[in-house]
Amino acid sequence: MKFDSTTYTFTDKGNAGKIGLIVGMIGLAVSLVGLFVDAGQFYFSWLVAFAFWISIGLGGLFMTMVHHLTSAVWSVAVRRIGEAVMNALPWMTLLAIPLLFGLDKLFIWTDTDHVAADAILSMKVGYLNVPFFIVRTVIYFAVWALLAFLLKRNSLAQDKEWTEERARKFVVISGPGMIAFALTATFFCFDWIMSLQPLWYSTIYGLWFFAGGITTVMAFYAIVVLRLRSNNVLSETITVEHQHDIGKLLFAFLVFWGYMHLSQYLLIWYANLPEETAFYKDRWGAGWTTMSWILMIGGFVMPFILLMGRSAKRSDASLMTFAVWMFVVHWVDLYWNIMPVFHTETVVLSWMDLTTLVGMGGIFVWLFWMKFTNHPAVPITDPKLDASIKMVN
Amino acid sequence: MSATTSTSTSATVQKWKPPKLVLGNPSFHDVTDQISGIVERRDTPIWWWVALGISVSMAGAFFIQMAWLFWTGVGIWGNNVPVGWGWPIVNFVFWVGIGHAGTLISAVLFLLRQKWRTSINRFAEAMTIFAVICAGIFPGIHVGRIWVAYWMFPIPNQMAMWPNFRSALMWDVFAVGTYFTASLLFWYTGLVPDWATLRDRAKGWPKKIYGFLALGWRSGNSQWKHYEAAYLLLAGIATPLVLSVHSVVSTDFATSMVFGWHTTIFPPYFVAGAIFSGFGMVMTLGILARLVYPPVKNYITVKTLELMAKVIMLTGMMVGYAYSMEMFIAWYSGNGYEQFVFLNRAFGPYAWAYWIMVSCNVIIPQLFWFKKLRTSIPVLFVASIFVNIGMWFERFVIVLTLHRDFLPSSWDMFKPTAFDIGFLVGSFGLFFTLFLLFLRFVPMVAMAEVKGVMPEADPHHESYHHATEKEA
Repeated sequence: MKFDSTTYTFTDKGNAGKIGLIVGMIGLAVSLVGLFVDAGQFYFSWLVAFAFWISIGLGGLFMTMVHHLTSAVWSVAVRRIGEAVMNALPWMTLLAIPLLFGLDKLFIWTDTDHVAADAILSMKVGYLNVPFFIVRTVIYFAVWALLAFLLKRNSLAQDKEWTEERARKFVVISGPGMIAFALTATFFCFDWIMSLQPLWYSTIYGLWFFAGGITTVMAFYAIVVLRLRSNNVLSETITVEHQHDIGKLLFAFLVFWGYMHLSQYLLIWYANLPEETAFYKDRWGAGWTTMSWILMIGGFVMPFILLMGRSAKRSDASLMTFAVWMFVVHWVDLYWNIMPVFHTETVVLSWMDLTTLVGMGGIFVWLFWMKFTNHPAVPITDPKLDASIKMVN
Repeated sequence: MSATTSTSTSATVQKWKPPKLVLGNPSFHDVTDQISGIVERRDTPIWWWVALGISVSMAGAFFIQMAWLFWTGVGIWGNNVPVGWGWPIVNFVFWVGIGHAGTLISAVLFLLRQKWRTSINRFAEAMTIFAVICAGIFPGIHVGRIWVAYWMFPIPNQMAMWPNFRSALMWDVFAVGTYFTASLLFWYTGLVPDWATLRDRAKGWPKKIYGFLALGWRSGNSQWKHYEAAYLLLAGIATPLVLSVHSVVSTDFATSMVFGWHTTIFPPYFVAGAIFSGFGMVMTLGILARLVYPPVKNYITVKTLELMAKVIMLTGMMVGYAYSMEMFIAWYSGNGYEQFVFLNRAFGPYAWAYWIMVSCNVIIPQLFWFKKLRTSIPVLFVASIFVNIGMWFERFVIVLTLHRDFLPSSWDMFKPTAFDIGFLVGSFGLFFTLFLLFLRFVPMVAMAEVKGVMPEADPHHESYHHATEKEA
């Protein structure tokens, strides 16, 4: 990979995108074989992987809008990373298409006989029915695509010339955009994850999904920044100070995510109502107990203690380790939330869990890298760029 | 896209300057004079005496009513079956919530490098401490038998009686206690350099008092080094408290099996509401302070107020999000009791309270979408009052969920007594008494910190003070 640091453009994009595309195609092709081996497993594995990469894409959209709404200075230098993630999101949503063929395998509420026999489920038919479900999903995806498109278009226009109106336009898009984001992300999670167990409900569930996505996108930022630096790209622009700030936000959102989990668990444990505790009962026993402990200790306690210090975030090796670990944790989190609906007895890891995750990951990396390298790697005309480069903690 | 080749390079990048936080172009000495002057002046303004007179009377009435409460018992309040928790818990949650903005401003915004916070953090934190004092009184007097109020604390005793550690009310004692301690320490740490400034300017006996309060501060290099480290650490310690305290307060309701109370979004929802209401109060107090002390306008600028308005709008919408989630999930749950509670809130006998809450907390902050409105002092002032009203009503609505419980034969309306109103008014009296004393005797803007964010504090700065006059 070659980089021209006067214009901030890539003269040679390297192999990252190509490798991503190849891995992605192979991964997804192999996964499709699984459809004929065990369709149920295929759809559930696909859903976990899909939710995983979509949540990261949503994180990129969120970070881009927050950057504009807060008039942040420090993040100008890393703004294009979030934008590229955001621009990958609309394409990633296309990976929902295979899932539409397996709605009957995923969601018990699609079974009309089952619903008719259940008084409570019958009450929910107005919301939990296939046509409305698909319409809603299309609306969520359209909203994300629209926001990503508007922000991207303005960002590229700004590269030609910085004007006050364009700077303002970012804020005008992001303000209402944030409201649309909050509602669509929440209901996406309600529809695609919470309704897997249609009798169970939790008002905090949308926030849990959001928190996990933001934590992981910060881990993604960290990985990108460190990989670029090791290739000597942007190493004078995105400094260890930015790395430190990314680490801090990773830590902050990690704690926020833990707080979501705790709030939900504590209140459900305390009230001990059967319709709520069923969720935790399904995730406790046999292999699920181990997974629950991994999530608690590995997902929160360990990184909370180890990532708190300053050097843990400023050291490349240490931040990279945590960033990769947060990816693992996020996958465990989604697996733990989704898969007990399918593997009710114990954890049964399947090769499809791996191929779908890696396959979509390859596509994601390819899209990201294409979006990131097509334009200057920083918003070159942004007046705050200089201040961002010189930023110190 | 190949458009990138023709785009401008970094050479054409315009110069961006950080926004000016202090207006009027004062020098460091002017800052000291303007802020210390408020404390040092001998002729206490008439309005201060009048305001203090009113506040002290209200606070006095508060304590007299308390004496009556101890003499007769909690029956003087409207609390009854089925509404066993009435205004005292509403007032408690209201005041604890108010406090949160102070901690958010002093700790969270410090960690986020939001330098505009320096002008408001001192009085916001003072507000926190006074609000927590007001809040702490209510559970204390609510126990009914004041002589056993110490039972709230896990104190070893010969009866081997312990509070229930699984009770959310026990967690409250720890949460609020920790909160008060940490806030006080944080506030005082920030005050030390300013006490020393006052000491160095004073003569006679005030010098002795300020000298005592300044803890031997000499502005030495190593002292500053320790101070900065301590301040950062205290900010780090105080940050989780912003989330934890009101989360614990929310569990007072949410751990119960009362529909409308037991819902998992309660902890973050309460935290957002607390920050919302606290910012409302900081806004009210900040605008009043600007009014009575004109030099303060250079520090608490319209820009500061505008940024606060944005935080109010954001947290107001977070609260709106929580209301919507509660409503949606109540329907989605398919649970008839849950659905009844929310329909009853919105359309039952207390619908007026519910819609006051929604109007004040969700609709009024929408005014701040417009720059003209969020930079208009009268609009901000009126809106901030509405925020406070709305958040009091939010807790009222939540507590009044009890008025129609599982047993329709026990349904009843809640009738507040004169004492209910008297206690609420009295707590405001106590709050304002403390706040007026603070305004008069403590530097209300953190002088040392404000100087730290002025352009002159930048080592690369070259006599900005004079240069900007030409620019302007």
